[in-house]
Amino acid sequence: MRIVVAEDQALLREGIVALLREHEIEVVGQAEDGDALLRLLATHKPDLAIVDVRLPPSFGDEGIRAAIEARRRDPEVGILILSQYVEPVYTAELLAGGEGGIGYLLKERVGDVSGFLDAVRRVAGGGTALDREVVAELVRDRGQGEDGPLASLTPRETEVLELIAEGRTNAAIAAALVITQGAVEKHISNVFAKLDLPATDDDHRRVLAVLAFLRARDAA
Amino acid sequence: MKAAADALRGLSLVDRLARAGLDLVYLTIGMATAILGFGIWLGAGIATLTLLVFVVGLPVFLLSTQLFRWTAELDRRNAALALGGPLRGRYRDHRGEGFLARLGRTAGDPQTWRDLGWLIVHSVLGFVFGLLALGLVALTLAMAAMPAWYWAIPDGADVAFWHVDTLGKAFLATAASIPIAAVTRLALRGMTIAVSGLAALLLGGGPEPTAEAAAEPGRGPAWRSADPEALLAAQAAISALAFGVTVAVWLAAGRGYFWPVWVALGLAIPLALHASVREALRAPAARRPLAVQVAVSAVIAATAVAVWALAGSGAFWPVWALLGLLVALALHFLVATMWGRVFPDARQRELAERVDELTRTRRGALDVQNAELQRIERDLHDGAQARLVSLSMQLGRAEERLADQPETEALVRQARGEASAAIAELRDLARGIAPPVLADRGLAAAVEALGRRAAIPVAVEVELERRPPAVIESAAYFVVAEALTNVAKHAPGAEASVRVFAEGETLVVEVTDNGPGGTDPAGSGLAGLRGRVEALDGTLRVIGPPGEGTTVRAELPCG
Repeated sequence: MRIVVAEDQALLREGIVALLREHEIEVVGQAEDGDALLRLLATHKPDLAIVDVRLPPSFGDEGIRAAIEARRRDPEVGILILSQYVEPVYTAELLAGGEGGIGYLLKERVGDVSGFLDAVRRVAGGGTALDREVVAELVRDRGQGEDGPLASLTPRETEVLELIAEGRTNAAIAAALVITQGAVEKHISNVFAKLDLPATDDDHRRVLAVLAFLRARDAA
Repeated sequence: MKAAADALRGLSLVDRLARAGLDLVYLTIGMATAILGFGIWLGAGIATLTLLVFVVGLPVFLLSTQLFRWTAELDRRNAALALGGPLRGRYRDHRGEGFLARLGRTAGDPQTWRDLGWLIVHSVLGFVFGLLALGLVALTLAMAAMPAWYWAIPDGADVAFWHVDTLGKAFLATAASIPIAAVTRLALRGMTIAVSGLAALLLGGGPEPTAEAAAEPGRGPAWRSADPEALLAAQAAISALAFGVTVAVWLAAGRGYFWPVWVALGLAIPLALHASVREALRAPAARRPLAVQVAVSAVIAATAVAVWALAGSGAFWPVWALLGLLVALALHFLVATMWGRVFPDARQRELAERVDELTRTRRGALDVQNAELQRIERDLHDGAQARLVSLSMQLGRAEERLADQPETEALVRQARGEASAAIAELRDLARGIAPPVLADRGLAAAVEALGRRAAIPVAVEVELERRPPAVIESAAYFVVAEALTNVAKHAPGAEASVRVFAEGETLVVEVTDNGPGGTDPAGSGLAGLRGRVEALDGTLRVIGPPGEGTTVRAELPCG
């Protein structure tokens, strides 16, 4: 797996690079701003770019803009955004394509090394990794009101839905909830039936279906 | 213009006419009681004094005092026309056992002697004033109606000094009746005030002053309240009296050339000056000098024309005087209007510059403050937050290496949890100082995010063609944030809607909920925001009648 890291703060950038290298992940380039990132992507064609939202020169949302531009140039490249904030407008823009290979994590999640590496591998492999805060906002947004579309779900089914939206596999969900994979499968089929979503065995497509459902605000 | 000035004081032309009518009735009745009183005091006085030699004089005296009292009572009732209510005599109790006791008490009552004094004074004053009032009103009406009757008299009508034999002169007389009517009205007022004031003094306490009477000028003993109208009325009354005396002298001297007209002119000039300058002084302060000049010029012009007319017409020499006055007025007008524009008052200019400067510096200070808050947020992001993230990462790496020492591993994991909590707290703090999405994506995205994050359902509608200045955006954002927090706190079951739109150069922020209402505008957390909004020359209103939900509306000028 070949990775590019775009982060202007040396302390964090070096920490992330060290962490990745410790786990035999190849970091092929490091960038400090959006333009450098785009150049590195064009040169190295990596599997994944880990991008900080705030980059020079404006220290605003340069990272998001660069990531969207990168995806436009190369839809194959995975993008994992790291941010201090969860901003619905940024995630909405990233997810607008509806394809996989997208991640959005709060920076402090890097401390949970195995969880972070799991997310890196998932996104590089075309999967999805959304921070649980991002998912919580999506669910809250979609489920507002007593007669919202999520009202029919049991609490456990809602938990399963959120874990799917984060991009977790069945095995990961089973481990997180301390239940059997069979129980997870059953919950998932209930959720899909209640939300009237097309059933599928493919993890990626399941995640995308759930995300599409959660993002369809106006359909409600 | 006069009517407008009167309306300003609450006295319409109709009110003034009604007042003048009442004054005329009062003075006419006064003339009748004066004649009656004259007969009574003279007859009763002579009878009493003559018969006093005999004992019979004593009962006659008692009878006379009863007559005085009865006549005075008529004037007390009549005073209601002038004062708004009848006067009440301050008599002592005259009842007593026996004739002598009653006689003693009646003679010892000062009111008895005040009644007599009133009868004597009023028999002259009331008669003269009544005659003058009727004469003035008759003159006014005769002048006004001149076109209707002058032809009925062979060789034309003679009104005092004026010979009217053509329709044109008759209409001139009608025009002249207007100032005469004004003088008549004032003279009526002045005489009424004088007579009723004297009556109140001698005949006893007046009616309790009602609020209405107190508010209305020209009622009650007005000469004491320094009412300018009463001063003018007094001058008119005295002038009319003086004119009446000269007419009487002219009649006694065998008529001939009507020379009292010059006396009338002499009396009219100061009266006209007094009246017109008083009107002019009601103009707004800035135009007062010009108004006074107009008033004085008008009086001078009228005097010149009057002198020309009285002196037997001929070549119209007053034209030069009129021209001079007109030129002076035009100059004054030009200077007054142009000067202010070309050379604004130094003090005013200074103030205007100061206001400009303060507005600029206040806005500058707010801009600086806003920029400062964004800098603090960035410092937190790049400094403390970055270090904590780095710390969390290193703790995570340490945790991995401690897989074989579970106790230490648990400690490190705990430390990492603390670091994460600190990061989360810093994140909320930074967002409260200056939300990054506001600077990056503007008000619409930031308000949208607020709506999503709120604990209650929120419908957001933002219509902006361009981004307002940062400091305005920031104030608008925090108004929405605080208002939504309030809704969630005070009306947890409610739904809210947020509207942000531009009204001309003004940014309007409206947060409405369907909660129970009854919001205390001062008590909510919005009180602090009001200062922030008002510092930007904006307004913040909280409308929350019980049962009708609450609306918070902020208007922020962006110009």
